[in-house]
Amino acid sequence: MARKRKRNEAVAGELNLTAMIDVAFQLLSFFIITIKPVDVLTNLDVFRPAPDSRPPPAEIKELATVLIHKDGFVLQGRKVSLDEVERQLGKISAISKDVPVVIKCTNDSRHDSLVKLLDRCAKLRLTKLSVFSM
Amino acid sequence: MRQQKAEEYMSGNLTAMIDVVFQLIIFFVCTIKMQDDASEQAIKLAMAPNGMPVVVKDSREIIISVTEDGRISIARTPLSVKDLSGILRKAVSMTGTDIPVVIKADSKSQHGDVRKVMDACAGANIWKIKISALKEKAG
Repeated sequence: MARKRKRNEAVAGELNLTAMIDVAFQLLSFFIITIKPVDVLTNLDVFRPAPDSRPPPAEIKELATVLIHKDGFVLQGRKVSLDEVERQLGKISAISKDVPVVIKCTNDSRHDSLVKLLDRCAKLRLTKLSVFSM
Repeated sequence: MRQQKAEEYMSGNLTAMIDVVFQLIIFFVCTIKMQDDASEQAIKLAMAPNGMPVVVKDSREIIISVTEDGRISIARTPLSVKDLSGILRKAVSMTGTDIPVVIKADSKSQHGDVRKVMDACAGANIWKIKISALKEKAG
């Protein structure tokens, strides 16, 4: 009788330990699998005046106007690359950071292009960005 | 003695099998939930590493999503432009025109669709809009 009890107790002791190790590994695997690094988001601020209001007249000297077409950017009538736009805006921002930048997008331009342009403006610390649609 | 040995053996195995069953159940519950989230059209934002990171989440914020093919939705509920205008006007009447509006548009979306959202905002007198982008991609 004493022997049987001992065996029972011994078996119960072993099983408990295994179960606890099991649970520990399960929790570990669960957290390893479910932890996902989060994307860092950024919100780029723009002004969007009502669609029927005219864009500010081109007579205002310190105005920078960038057009976004389906296949690229247009600055002062010439097709330019994004880096060129950034260079020109860099020169303007060196004078003042408060220069209003007017961005006109066509309906078939990609949102990607707009975001890239806004990104470069943020890099140059230009904050007065207005988006118009053509 | 043999009978008892056999019983002990059985109960040990049974516990292990119940454990495995529960593990399988938990596994399937978790993976099916993750599949469900991922299979719906996720919006891939464009990269903008120079923007300021979003630190504080404003609870009044309205996040409008625009998918690659131009579908507009708020919190996974698809909306038409008219519905969107209605919602924005209601929000403005409740909290004012300084309510933060965030547009989460897929990087491949057409500006024409984003423009519809922006025009709806303008119609509700909201003229300060935030455009969401990825500062750092995780993983």
